[in-house]
Amino acid sequence: MKAVSRIVAALSHVPGVIAAMVVGASDGLIIETSAMLGGVEAGDTRKHTAALAAYLYSRITRASDAARLGTPAFMRLEAEHGQICVVGARDVVVVTIVTPNANLGRVRLDMMTAARED
Amino acid sequence: MTTPTVAESWVAAPLTRLMEDARLISGVLLYPTGRAVGQFGFSNAADVMSICALTSAINASSRELGRQLDGKPFYELHHAGTERQVFMARATAGGQEFLFVGVFDGESSLGVVEIYFGEFQKSLEKLRPEKQVATPVPAGDFEGELNRSLDALFGPIGKP
Repeated sequence: MKAVSRIVAALSHVPGVIAAMVVGASDGLIIETSAMLGGVEAGDTRKHTAALAAYLYSRITRASDAARLGTPAFMRLEAEHGQICVVGARDVVVVTIVTPNANLGRVRLDMMTAARED
Repeated sequence: MTTPTVAESWVAAPLTRLMEDARLISGVLLYPTGRAVGQFGFSNAADVMSICALTSAINASSRELGRQLDGKPFYELHHAGTERQVFMARATAGGQEFLFVGVFDGESSLGVVEIYFGEFQKSLEKLRPEKQVATPVPAGDFEGELNRSLDALFGPIGKP
């Protein structure tokens, strides 16, 4: 995987991305994060999002396994005011918080590329 | 999932919520002196007694270690075993310090436990009664204090 700081920096510049993070898959702790766009007091928000997104991804992985679908490639949670996207990459998960009108195709492609690159 | 048993009723709701939200297997809330305030996941007093004594000792030594290394006491401790993990942290409510030790496995994560422990701390601060009923205890009576709190949680041992 590319240096985590480069991944975070690259993803945070994709239009519509409010925050990009690389998070430990098993512990849910932030390894690297971008600043939160919009001047939100984001310390706790990102920490919460990171831990819960990693946790949710681990549950999704189990569900996917149970359904014999293999490892999930991309997880997107659509909410009222935006979306959370998660891609797994071995020991880490890449998490982005994006606006409702973000270019999701670009976000998805960049996240999956980042996760694939060694 | 078990229900917490508590020596002080006001901690029951926050402890239940922490147990459920963070998916903890077991946990004990205690005063730094080793007196248990509440617990879940344990069925006998001897286990809780050991945990209280160990947690109290670990807190004292890690606090001093933190002071030596970082100039201030460590806030939390985490030990990841192969299957289960231990999370230990301090909480304060109304100037009173508490210690919490919890055990979790792959059904939870450190990040999740930290989040809900933060919420638990806020609940303690909010719910703590203004006036605590002060029970006079001899200073330094560690064993007596520990036994009294275990009696409150499990009933007097050997006295059905």
